[in-house]
Amino acid sequence: MFGVGARVRRKEDDRLLRGRGRFVADIALVGMRELAFVRSPVAHARILSFDIPEQVRRQVFTWQDLEPAGVRPIRAASGLPGFKVSEQPPLAADKVRFAGEPIAVTVAATRAEAEDIASQVIAEFDELPPNVDMLAAAAPGAPCVHEHWSDNIFLETRVGQSFEKDVAAAPVRISRSIRTQRQCIVPLEGKGLVAHWDRQAEQLVLYTATQMPHIVRSGLSECLGLPLEAIRVIAPDVGGGFGWKGLLQPEEVVAAWLCLHLGCPLRWMEDRREHLVAAANAREHHYEITAYADADGRLLGVDADAWVDAGAYSIYPFSACLEAAQVGSILPGPYDFPHYRCRTFSVCTNKPPIVPFRGVARANVCFAMEQIIDAIAAAVGREAWEVRLLNLVPPEKMPFDNITGKHFDSGDYPESLRRAVAGIDLASVRRRQLQGEPDGRLVGVGFATYCEQGAHGTAVYHGWGIPMVPGYEQVQARITADGGLELRAGIQSHGQGMETSFAQVAHEVLGIPLERIRLVHGDTGLTPYSTGTWGSRSMVMAGGAVATACRRLADRLRRIAAHLLQARLEDVTLSGGMLQSGQADITIAEIARTWYLAPQLLPADVDPGGLEITAGYKPKSDHGTFSYATHAAVVAVDAEVGLVEILDYLVVEDAGTMVNPAIVEGQIFGGVAQGIGTALYECSPYDDAGQPMASTLMDYLLPGFTEVPAIRIEHMETPSPYTEFGVKGLGEGGVIAPSAVLCNAINDALKARGAVVTDQPVTPARILAALRNARAEPPP
Amino acid sequence: MSLSVLLSVNGVAREVALDDPRVTLLDLLRERLGLTGTKKGCDRGQCGACTVLVDGRRINSCLTLAASCDGARVLTIEGLAEEGALHPVQEAFIAHDGFQCGFCTPGQIMSAVGLILEGHAGDDPERIREGMSGNICRCGAYAGITAAILDAERRLAERNRAEAA
Ligand code: FES
Ligand code: FES
Repeated sequence: MFGVGARVRRKEDDRLLRGRGRFVADIALVGMRELAFVRSPVAHARILSFDIPEQVRRQVFTWQDLEPAGVRPIRAASGLPGFKVSEQPPLAADKVRFAGEPIAVTVAATRAEAEDIASQVIAEFDELPPNVDMLAAAAPGAPCVHEHWSDNIFLETRVGQSFEKDVAAAPVRISRSIRTQRQCIVPLEGKGLVAHWDRQAEQLVLYTATQMPHIVRSGLSECLGLPLEAIRVIAPDVGGGFGWKGLLQPEEVVAAWLCLHLGCPLRWMEDRREHLVAAANAREHHYEITAYADADGRLLGVDADAWVDAGAYSIYPFSACLEAAQVGSILPGPYDFPHYRCRTFSVCTNKPPIVPFRGVARANVCFAMEQIIDAIAAAVGREAWEVRLLNLVPPEKMPFDNITGKHFDSGDYPESLRRAVAGIDLASVRRRQLQGEPDGRLVGVGFATYCEQGAHGTAVYHGWGIPMVPGYEQVQARITADGGLELRAGIQSHGQGMETSFAQVAHEVLGIPLERIRLVHGDTGLTPYSTGTWGSRSMVMAGGAVATACRRLADRLRRIAAHLLQARLEDVTLSGGMLQSGQADITIAEIARTWYLAPQLLPADVDPGGLEITAGYKPKSDHGTFSYATHAAVVAVDAEVGLVEILDYLVVEDAGTMVNPAIVEGQIFGGVAQGIGTALYECSPYDDAGQPMASTLMDYLLPGFTEVPAIRIEHMETPSPYTEFGVKGLGEGGVIAPSAVLCNAINDALKARGAVVTDQPVTPARILAALRNARAEPPP
Repeated sequence: MSLSVLLSVNGVAREVALDDPRVTLLDLLRERLGLTGTKKGCDRGQCGACTVLVDGRRINSCLTLAASCDGARVLTIEGLAEEGALHPVQEAFIAHDGFQCGFCTPGQIMSAVGLILEGHAGDDPERIREGMSGNICRCGAYAGITAAILDAERRLAERNRAEAA
């Protein structure tokens, strides 16, 4: 009732509802001072000099202060051959490479004063031509962002062989250019930190809004030259991350050093403008794709070039080529076809670095590939879902190794599609289209099917060259003397409800009531090492470690119980928190009391490890889990003004066993909402000078109450054959398909007028332009 | 320059001396009175995370100068639950899963309480969405929040009827 599969209320809820959560901005330390950053106003320039008024000189710091003190630039080198390494001084050294790059920091009693001082710091620049568009930046002769490089390509990757002769006779050949926009991640809580020196522990303590405290600690150690044991990183309550809190930030390095240098606690809170212009960018891709199919629409081959605008620097730890390296390996999606080739380019430009945003690369790839499927369907005169069905990996082939070596673990992809077709009632949409709308709008329906790799294993990350390779995930479990359970995990929960779902897992194994189970997370001082929470991994990996640790504790409990109950070990069972043999029983609390307080009663061969254990866990397969779903939507497009209304939205998904369906649904709703933003609204454009044009939430449009419709969810539940309880990662899934679905639905609506949109976001302006083009060049 | 503001916060009279006239009500609550339940999401009136009730009306406290609140009655998330029991809107947020990370939640709840007090959303989800459109939830809990508000309105109406009877 409270274990795996139960829809229990979250343990986190009460404090958050009462405004009693403790987020980083809520932490105040005695004597704490505030930081403000001076940021480059230009995209690409040499710094000639600083002009700092004498009366504030001692409150302003630049790289000239940090470098002599031994601070090192942030360096995230991919292990893939040919990767060009960027070095990012946490305050720009002699050159700025994007508008918004921190060039100096100021310290004062309040943020307002620190900002006042920041406004008095003037830098003189020698401006250089900026690289704004990735295709131009990738072209020969473009000015180099890093002058010692030969071009602006962090890395080029190639997957697959040429196959021209194999598809020469293909009756269908579709070519498309597809663009996706630069986005900002925008968790409602920005980043922020409080740094102080703990005199007793002799440790730098950094409270920071992060998804990966252990990785931040490693990065700080590298940049500051401090041994790891001298650093403790604590993530308090974190107000959403979605990837933005999965990196070492330059501001963290600067604040940590300044804290050591000044000897007082310091706070920096990223403001919304800093967030939008100087930081959390993601997902700007360009695709040139050609697909080949037979006359039925069966895919024969896909040939693609993909460019990713990775910005000016390689971020720590994911590097500048995570997105592009993923594109190469996941573009084939959930489909089975014989020929594939993909080249990818991670392009260095004069824009902020990119960070892996929820659904990293997968959302873009789905947008591109699902448009291709619809285009093939149009070419062969079939319903798009029929062409999808023809190409999806069928259940009888599971587990299935696809053309790029992805190991799809389980599931029935076609069934999710069939259910979506039935659930959205395709036939009635087609009838409605024939009748036309009373208000003259155009109605369309779209589908997209994807599979989502989550909980990526060691080999996967090593294969992508990422300098942070996840291994065994560890959890510590400790039964307390009064029969409670403490779990300690190095992941970090920031909206995923892990304090609850992990307790459910532990309860499932040990039967200890949920209210007596407590998760300690997000603190390097209290938890085992972990790469943190990203890549839909925590439930699978750390949840699996919770189960493993609890099983081992159960075993130790049974051994002690057998002795105390004078029973044979094999007769002792554990259920509902009670150990039993025949009529005799004993509670976990009684055994715990014996271990801690009355050890004279223990068996002579008792495990000296006691009721505390650290367990490491990996799934049986190292490939990661594969969730999948089909999304379907019906839209109405106003051809006069280009506005889109979502009339219906359905998700048919399978993420394996659900530990807590309410949490699963929350993740899906949230993902779809972000996907709707990706599809229709969100965009962070740059002008020709490399200036960001979206600097407030009036320019960067987030989906709100009136943009997100009611979303229907149908669950399928195929347990993973490889993980504890059969769970699969799902945190990112919701965001992957919406832009593809909505684009396909809009194109379905526009097809009556012969118009096609290919670029994201599908704004009213793009829709109207597509309609104008169609009028100018009517289809043959 | 120093000016002093006298205001009631969650029913308690507070007098604060302001050294800087630019201080917003949000910063006054968070930085001077230690009431950190109210959140700063944008500091520009564009996200709703800082919503509180001033004299019964919802406002963005980041856009309100503290100096302009002299004599005002301010209600924040910390003052909403009476004697430990959750307010019906808070209850409904749990029942309908109206949040994930919880960062927008204090603002959503105060905005919802204000919306219900305004009394013109009724039981029309469309009008509730319209009335809540100044509150962003990046975790995307909009459907849950809308359902929670509908439910809380019902519960509050029942309570009012019971009290009237
Ligand atoms: S913080 Fe006030 S509206 Fe965003
Ligand atoms: S619950 Fe996270 S922003 Fe609303």
